[in-house]
Amino acid sequence: MRLLEHESKRILEKYRIPLPVGRLVSPGELLKIDTPVMLKAQIPVGGRGKAGGILEASDAEDAQQKVSLLLQSNLRGYIPKSVYMEEKKTVRQEFFMGVTYDTVAKAPLAIFSPVGGVDIEELAQQQPELVRKEHFTVASRLPVHRAREIVAETGISGKLLLGLSSVLSTIAEVFLDYDATVVEINPLGLMDDGRLIALDCHMEIDDDAVFRHADIAALEKEIGRVEGEKHMSDFERRAAGIDNLDHRGVAGRVIEFDGNLGLIIGGGGASLTAFDAIRSHGGRPANYCEIGGNPSVLKVKELTRLILSKPGVDKIAVIMNVVSNTRVDLVARGIVKGILESGKNPARTIAVFRIPGAWEEEGFKILSKYGIPIQGRTISIDEAARIAAKNSN
Amino acid sequence: MSSTSEFIRVDVNMISCVGIARCGGCLRVCPVGIFEKNGDTPAVVEKNQDECILCELCVQACNPEAITIRKLYEA
Repeated sequence: MRLLEHESKRILEKYRIPLPVGRLVSPGELLKIDTPVMLKAQIPVGGRGKAGGILEASDAEDAQQKVSLLLQSNLRGYIPKSVYMEEKKTVRQEFFMGVTYDTVAKAPLAIFSPVGGVDIEELAQQQPELVRKEHFTVASRLPVHRAREIVAETGISGKLLLGLSSVLSTIAEVFLDYDATVVEINPLGLMDDGRLIALDCHMEIDDDAVFRHADIAALEKEIGRVEGEKHMSDFERRAAGIDNLDHRGVAGRVIEFDGNLGLIIGGGGASLTAFDAIRSHGGRPANYCEIGGNPSVLKVKELTRLILSKPGVDKIAVIMNVVSNTRVDLVARGIVKGILESGKNPARTIAVFRIPGAWEEEGFKILSKYGIPIQGRTISIDEAARIAAKNSN
Repeated sequence: MSSTSEFIRVDVNMISCVGIARCGGCLRVCPVGIFEKNGDTPAVVEKNQDECILCELCVQACNPEAITIRKLYEA
């Protein structure tokens, strides 16, 4: 769960990390300001500044107009529900610091750069010497002396080193205490008087851990906190209903598109690969979907029926990577049954069926009975996508 | 008897079956709800038959060997 900037900053405040003075502005509120302010659209997505979601205002009238403008803007697919107004700070230098989880090393990772306010991935690629990364463990955390080593390796010394390492160690505490997947301050500004202030903050909490934090769980339930541009369609809602039919597996995470080829494709990277491959071969998907975790025959059947009920969809492509926990025969049963119950012919409706893996012999027997060509593991996902695109056009 | 199943047919031979009070193994072991209680005898839930995962636990648990599972797609 990605927190909004002001929500992240309330957490930093608890840990005594200095922040600019700021508050949320309500729509239509009469503003009184004496000094220039920054107006920041509260959306749960990066690249906000480049998208025009951060504006500077010099007086009350200017601020009023810009708040209205921000609240009507579509910023990277989101319409801001609130604007955060902060005093404008003049900084001498900007730094980057963050803590994330390295899934390959299976350990938290602290990142520091003496260059802030930039895209850190881009900077790490172009000037890797400016980005210092260090793993730490959940058990020993990131004590100040270790944070100091990380910052010192970028050539920073003296009082600034003490200040920066203290903030880095503190955000590692926030990361662990809140079961976060990302805590990032970018930029952390150095003021003329030597103080460090967190000008922006990005924080994401592990979805599976939200229940452990009452304050975060309450935010998640807040209606109207975030408004995306795209609303769930009736088709997507019905698919989600199918997924809730029983606890077995997943068969109903669906995004609607306006093509003619229904997709029943495996979850994770394989579904994205299959979707992109079908498009690159000229296919026009009617939906994106993810199935996996050995869904029940009922769920696959109902999903097949739903997809085939979409106007203009008369073919479906069934593509998964080599499966281990999902059974080929059970998916085949669901697909064939769904097609039959839709009053269609399985052999003419399936553009491609490519699921190799567990119980494939039984699955292939089912396909054979209904005259459906069998695509085994020697057929790549890309090749299966090509066949599907060809058979659906 | 008509069946809503397309792929799997599970049958309990009621002449051999000794009843739930004396056995009931099928009801205890089936992980996908193929059987339900019908008085003292097990009954096959017609609409669930295609969920059968062919584990054959019911066949093994049935002391009087009253259960048969058929794959209709092999017929």
